[in-house]
Amino acid sequence: MTAQAPLLIHVIAALIGAVYLAWRFQRIQVSPALGGMIGAAAGAVGSAIFMLPLNYCTFESERSLIDAVFGVLLIGIGMALVVLPVDALIRSVVMRRRNPNMGGTAQAGAFKGWLLPIVFLAPTLIVLTLFLYYPSLDTFRLSTLLARLGARRTLFVCVDNFTSLVSDGDYLNSFVITIFISAAIVVLGLALALGIALLAYQPIKGARIYRTLLIWPYAISPVVAGVIFLLLFNPTGGIVNYALDNVFGIKIGWLNDPTAAPWAVIIASVWKSLGYNILFYIAGLQNVSKDIREAASIDGANVAQRFFSVVLPLLSPITFFLVITNMTYAFFETFGTIDYLTGGGPLNSTSTLMYNIYEVGITNNDLGKAAAQSIVLFALVIGLTVVQFRTSGNRVNYGA
Amino acid sequence: MRKSFLFVVLAAMLALAVIPAFAQETVDVPVWIAFTDENRLGWAQDRAVEYNEMFPQYNVTVEGYANYEELFASTALAAEQGTLPAVVQYFEVATQDARDSGYFKPIAEAIGDRTDINGIAVNFDDFVGPVREYYTIDGVFTSMPWNTSSAIYFSNMTILDAAGVDTPPTTWAEIDAACELVMALETAPEYCWTFPNHGWFFEQWIAQQDEQFANNGNGREERATEVSINNDGSVALLTFLDEQLAKGYLYYSGAQGGDSWGTVDQAFSTQQVAMAAYSSSDTATYTNVGTDNGFEVVASFLPYNEVTGWTGNLIGGASLWLVDGLSTEVEDGALGFLLSINSTENAAAWHQLTGYIAVTTSANELLTEQGWFEENPNFSVAADQLAQSTITTATSGAIIGAFPSIRSVVTQAVDTALLTDEPVADVLAAAQEDANTVLEEYNLLNAE
Repeated sequence: MTAQAPLLIHVIAALIGAVYLAWRFQRIQVSPALGGMIGAAAGAVGSAIFMLPLNYCTFESERSLIDAVFGVLLIGIGMALVVLPVDALIRSVVMRRRNPNMGGTAQAGAFKGWLLPIVFLAPTLIVLTLFLYYPSLDTFRLSTLLARLGARRTLFVCVDNFTSLVSDGDYLNSFVITIFISAAIVVLGLALALGIALLAYQPIKGARIYRTLLIWPYAISPVVAGVIFLLLFNPTGGIVNYALDNVFGIKIGWLNDPTAAPWAVIIASVWKSLGYNILFYIAGLQNVSKDIREAASIDGANVAQRFFSVVLPLLSPITFFLVITNMTYAFFETFGTIDYLTGGGPLNSTSTLMYNIYEVGITNNDLGKAAAQSIVLFALVIGLTVVQFRTSGNRVNYGA
Repeated sequence: MRKSFLFVVLAAMLALAVIPAFAQETVDVPVWIAFTDENRLGWAQDRAVEYNEMFPQYNVTVEGYANYEELFASTALAAEQGTLPAVVQYFEVATQDARDSGYFKPIAEAIGDRTDINGIAVNFDDFVGPVREYYTIDGVFTSMPWNTSSAIYFSNMTILDAAGVDTPPTTWAEIDAACELVMALETAPEYCWTFPNHGWFFEQWIAQQDEQFANNGNGREERATEVSINNDGSVALLTFLDEQLAKGYLYYSGAQGGDSWGTVDQAFSTQQVAMAAYSSSDTATYTNVGTDNGFEVVASFLPYNEVTGWTGNLIGGASLWLVDGLSTEVEDGALGFLLSINSTENAAAWHQLTGYIAVTTSANELLTEQGWFEENPNFSVAADQLAQSTITTATSGAIIGAFPSIRSVVTQAVDTALLTDEPVADVLAAAQEDANTVLEEYNLLNAE
C-alpha cells in the first residue's frame, strides 16, 4: 500500500459526502455549497471511524480481495453513521426555524441547567458505561485480534475474524438453523397461545385457577426448561418416546437425530414462553370491546368471521409486540434450553448463532472469532428490529 | 439497670470485635476441584475439615465446579483477575496449557529438599510407577496425582449370560459377536452397547493401536505443531463404530464431551444397553447400580482392534496443581493438604469410594492386605490395564496446546461420522485440518 492511499480514501469519502449533502440541501432549499462543505467533513470523519483503528489494514497488498471489499463496506458504514445523523439533525433544525410551532414548545418541563439532569442520570449512565458501553467497545477491539484466554500474547489479524466467517460452513449453517428455530418458535408459540387464550378468557367457573396454571411455565428459567425436556425427550428412557411407542409404535431420536433435535428445542422453548404469550393475549382479548363484536354479529358475521375480521385485527398491537419479544427470546434466551437439552448437537443441528458464539468463545476459547460473531449478531438484530418497525408497524391497528 | 444493660452491650461488642482478630490467625487455602457430587466433593471437603482440625493454623476450603472444562475456563478467568486459589485440579489434557500459562509451580520445586511438611512425610517413591511417570514433566514431579483412571469396559453379565456369552468381549470383533447374540434375545435390550462421545475414548482407542495423536513424539520431545488424528487407527475406529451403529448395536446419545457421561450412565443403569465403555472413575457406581437393580456388572479391559493388537491404554483423570506465587504460609498449607490427601489411608479410601486407582504402593498393599481386590475384582481392572500396558510414545498420551478445544473437534468428527454418510476418511481429514488450525493459533499465541 502506498503512503497516499489513506489520503485517497478520505478524499473520495469526502467527495461522496459532499455530493450527497449538497443534493439533500438543495431539496430543502438551503445553500448546496454549505451542504457540500459539511458533507465533505462528515464523509471524511465517517470514513476514518473504522479505518483509523484498523490502520487501513484491509487495503494492504498482501490481503485478499474479500478483505478489501469488507474494508469498503466498513468505510460505507462509517460514513453512513456520521453523514445520515448530520443530515437529519440539520433538516430538523431548518424545519423548526421555518415552522417554529412544529413540535417546538415542549420546553415547559425541561431542566434549566445542564448539571442537574446529568446528576440524576449519572447512576444509570455509570452502570451502562461500565457494564454495557465499555464491554461493547472492547468487543470491537477483540474482534480484530487472535486471542485466547490465558495466552501469553494476542495478535492483530485485521478483519480476518469477520471475513473467515464467509467460508465457515458451520457458521453459515447456524444462520439457517437460527432462522428456522426462531420462526417456528414465534409462529407456533403465538398461534398456540392465542388458541389457549381464547379458551381461557371465557367467563367460566375457576377461570382464575386455569389462568394461573397456564401461566406458570413462564416463571421457570430456560435452564430448568432444558432439564425438564431433557428427561422427557430422552431417546431411550424418556416418557415422550415411551408414550409414542405405546400409542403409535414409533420412537423419535429427539436428541440424537439431527432432523428431530431442532423440534425438541422448539417445543421446549414454545412451552417455556407460552405463559407469557397467553397472559398478553388474555389481556388483549379482554380489551376487545363487546359492542364491536355484537355489532358484527348483528350484521350477520359468524364465529369465524367475527374472529378473523374483528378480533384478530384488534389484537394486532399485542401480536406485533409479542412477535418482537418472542423473536428476541428465540434469538437470545433459548441459549440455556439448548445448552442443557442438546448442547448444540447432534451434527450442530441446534447450534444457533447465539449458541455458536458460546461454543467458539467459551468452549474453544477463541475470543477474537467469538467477538466478531457477536458483532455480526448485534448488527443483525439491529437490522431486524428496524425492518420490523418499518414494515409491520404500519399495518398494526392500534384501534380508535 | 440501664447502666448494666449498656455495659453488657458494650462488652458484647468488644468481644465481637476481638474474636475476628483471633480468627484472622488462620491462613486461607482455597482449593478448586471439578466435582459437584456429594460422593467426591463431599469426600474432599471432609478431608479438608480433618486437615483443618489437625492444623488449626490453616483453613482449607474445597470448592466444586461442574466439570473439568468449566474449571479450566474459570481458572484462566481467575488468573486474568488475579484471584487464583492455592490449588486447582487440572485434567490431563490441560498439561500443555498449564505449562504455558505459568500459573503453577512444580510440587517438587515447592518442597525443595524438605522431607516433611509440618510433619507430613514426603515420599514420591511411594507413587505407583505409571502414575509417577505421568505426572513427572521435564524430569520434575509437577502436580499431585489424585484421581487417576483409565478407560475400561462394563458388562451387564446377567444379559450376556442369558445370550450365552460367558466372558466380556476383549476385542472389537468380540463386541460384534456378543452383540449378535444379545440382540437375538427375546428380551433383548434396546441397544447392545454404548460409549461416551468424549475425546478421551478416541484417544484411548487409537493409542491401543499404537497410533500417535500429535507430532514431535506426541508433543513430549518438543512442542507439538501438528495433530495426526487422521491415521489408520482412527479410520478403523470410526469405521467400526459406524458399522455398529448401522447394525443397531451401538447406542449414540448425540451428547458430546462433558455432557456425554450422563447419557451412558442412564442407558447402562436402566439396562437399555448390555455393555458400556466408561471411565474406571465410576467403578463403584457401576458395580453398585447392578447390585441394587438385580444384575451383575463385570469390569474388563477396554476392547481393542484385533487387527492391530493391543499396545496399551492411557492414564486419564486429573491432578492437583499448586498455584505459583503464593506466600510461604499458604504454600505450605496447600502442600500439607496435598500430601495428606494421598496418605495411605486416604488414597485407599478414595479408591474404594470411586474406582480411581489407588495411587500409592502403600495404599495398594493396605487394600490387598484387607482382601479388597479379591472381594471386588472390578476395582483392580484399571490398575492392571495400566500396569500391563507397553509404554510407547503413543500410550504415554499426547501433550499439546489447546487440547480441550481440539477434543471438541474430535467429538464433532465422531458425531459426523456416525450421523452422516460422509466417508470416514474425509471426515477425519477435515477434522485434522480444523484441529491443526486451532493448534497453530494456540502456538502462535503461546510458543516462545
